[in-house]
Amino acid sequence: MGKELLEKLQKAIKEFDTQAAENLTKQAMQEKMDPIQVLDALTDAIREVGDGFGKGELFLPELVGAANAMQKATPILEEEIKKSGARRESAGRVVIGSVHGDMHNIGKTMVCTLLTADGFEVIDLGINVETGQFIAAVIEHDANIVAMSALLTTTAQEQKNVIEALKAEGLRDSVKIMVGGGAISESFAESIGADGYDPTAPGAVELARKFIGK
Amino acid sequence: MLTGFTRKFRPLKIVSDEEIESIHRGGLYVLEKTGMRIEHDRALKLFAENDCRVDFDEKRVRIPAWLAEKCVRQVPSSFVVTARDGESDLMIGGDTFYFMQGMGMRYVDLDTWETRQATIREHKEAMIVADALDNCHLADAVFAYTELDGVPPVMTFLETLASGLRYSGKAQQYGYQKDCEIFAIKMAKALGVNLNPELDTASPLSLYGGSVEAAFRYVEADIPIQPCVGVAMGGEGPMTTSSVMVMASATIMGWAVLTQLIKPGAPISIQFGLKPMDMQRGNPLFASVVNSMTTVMMNQLLRKYQIPSCTSAGFTSLSKKIDYQCGYEKAMGTLISALSGGHLHIFQGGSTAELMYNPVLSILDDDIAGWIGTFLQGVNVNDETLAIDLINQVGPIPGHFLGTAHTREWWQKENFFPKVADQEAYPVWVKSGKRDALDLAKDRMQEILATHTPKPLTSDQEQAIKDILQEAREYYRERGMISDDEWSVYMNALEAAG
Repeated sequence: MGKELLEKLQKAIKEFDTQAAENLTKQAMQEKMDPIQVLDALTDAIREVGDGFGKGELFLPELVGAANAMQKATPILEEEIKKSGARRESAGRVVIGSVHGDMHNIGKTMVCTLLTADGFEVIDLGINVETGQFIAAVIEHDANIVAMSALLTTTAQEQKNVIEALKAEGLRDSVKIMVGGGAISESFAESIGADGYDPTAPGAVELARKFIGK
Repeated sequence: MLTGFTRKFRPLKIVSDEEIESIHRGGLYVLEKTGMRIEHDRALKLFAENDCRVDFDEKRVRIPAWLAEKCVRQVPSSFVVTARDGESDLMIGGDTFYFMQGMGMRYVDLDTWETRQATIREHKEAMIVADALDNCHLADAVFAYTELDGVPPVMTFLETLASGLRYSGKAQQYGYQKDCEIFAIKMAKALGVNLNPELDTASPLSLYGGSVEAAFRYVEADIPIQPCVGVAMGGEGPMTTSSVMVMASATIMGWAVLTQLIKPGAPISIQFGLKPMDMQRGNPLFASVVNSMTTVMMNQLLRKYQIPSCTSAGFTSLSKKIDYQCGYEKAMGTLISALSGGHLHIFQGGSTAELMYNPVLSILDDDIAGWIGTFLQGVNVNDETLAIDLINQVGPIPGHFLGTAHTREWWQKENFFPKVADQEAYPVWVKSGKRDALDLAKDRMQEILATHTPKPLTSDQEQAIKDILQEAREYYRERGMISDDEWSVYMNALEAAG
């Protein structure tokens, strides 16, 4: 029964069926399945979608569709995991957001999805994220990596503000920092003291893997 | 005033007036039902005071259709972008169209095709070249290299604007960034120019706080603004051309309402680029055929609104080199935009999806601009141009027209003669070293730098710019936005640039 349910859940992810993903996850919890086991199965499914994307067989609408379905399921599972006091092994914890003043979402969403597919725990702070929110999230989630996006030249400098704030809070050495977005270049990333930059979402995942020695 | 080019025939349409009306109605409905997210408290209050439904917690403004249409009608159909010498003012609107210097973040090396930050000196050279180009009517100093080696990011826009004002007498386009508009307005007032600054929109249906704050500053200073509606279709906007047009219509009207509430009659133009997202790479597909379709439709919509347009259909290419792809992508988009009635075309010098700029490309692009401009000026059909009597007079072979007064009179009038295209006969081309248009454009750049002198600033104007730059440097330094290390590098860069 459990195996059949997990297969249905994976199918829901791969077919971008958000409603089924949510309903089946709730059903799995009602049936007292192990939330970590369910989450692992979902991660396998989205990894498969991510691999298809990497091979050029699937495209962004499919990738983000699968991520949306996954996002319906994960809060339910995380709540159960939290209740049980267990902690899921992850490749690393990434706090990510579009910096203050920047409301662009697409590139960041791609990075979040591919990081999740690669086994990272992603804490997505969303868009227009204040410096203080990055700091608070790093502390709360004991993050390994901070990832910041800025599409506009007018907001790129906010990335520097976050890095300076991390230094001021004594957190700089405890995290690796990656930056990206249309307004960012390798030299800009270096100039503001980031640890890495990549212009593509798959490249961001490679960078994250490198940061944690994976 | 620079007269630019005038389109002599009716603009291209690809949808009917009735279909444009459907798009407009859709935009009105979206604006009233869903509205826009506006990250600016003063703006929210202004909307609330003027019959809009405002949710201050969600920062959401829902605008009634009557107000949207009233404000669109209130936007002037034409306005002047003023240059410091007066002779280069531009009258934006009507059937006149102009070309504008293109944009790119970084300098591209023409041997390795790798990009790097431009130096202050290279920016100066880019502006001198733009000043010398016959068909570049509006300079865009802040976006021809948005990164300058040694200059702190907060000072880049102001340093490049100052460079543009020093090394070009043409009217300037500007932008906004971290309060820099405060100092840009001071420079504008000191030199009697009005900058035509472009302001970003966040799609879908959102306006940034910084962009709206800049709108207040500029409009209150009587400076025309150019809101930019940029959408990656399928990501930041819906996928089909018609649906993205509905969203763009709502956004344009949102900007019209904001500006007209700040100051009735405030002049604006709309810059736009509605292009599909590359679903494999996530990049916007600049210069795609859909981008040209939306460009024509936007020009149709803006003509209905009587709001001047600024198009980016050919402002860049996805090519990493100055090559065949770069040429056709830029030329086709710009030609279609001009044919469909765009007023201002971002064009000369930029490529690689906003990443690179090079003055050599601006020289090549200027030939394309001349070609397009000449084509759109059309032909005159009258007794003299019909020359029926002359045809009868010359008659069949062995008659010919080479020695006639009519040929002498007309051979240069209807055609355009590119400055750097290779038009040599093959044997001559072989003998002269097999040089192509890119080689010729490189030569032309050196020739311009050796011979062209932009009209200089007066000593009072130069002093005003120096004082304002210094004030800005201190402003940002006091606020910790220029670190000691950056300051030291910055001063060295300025010294090295002379």
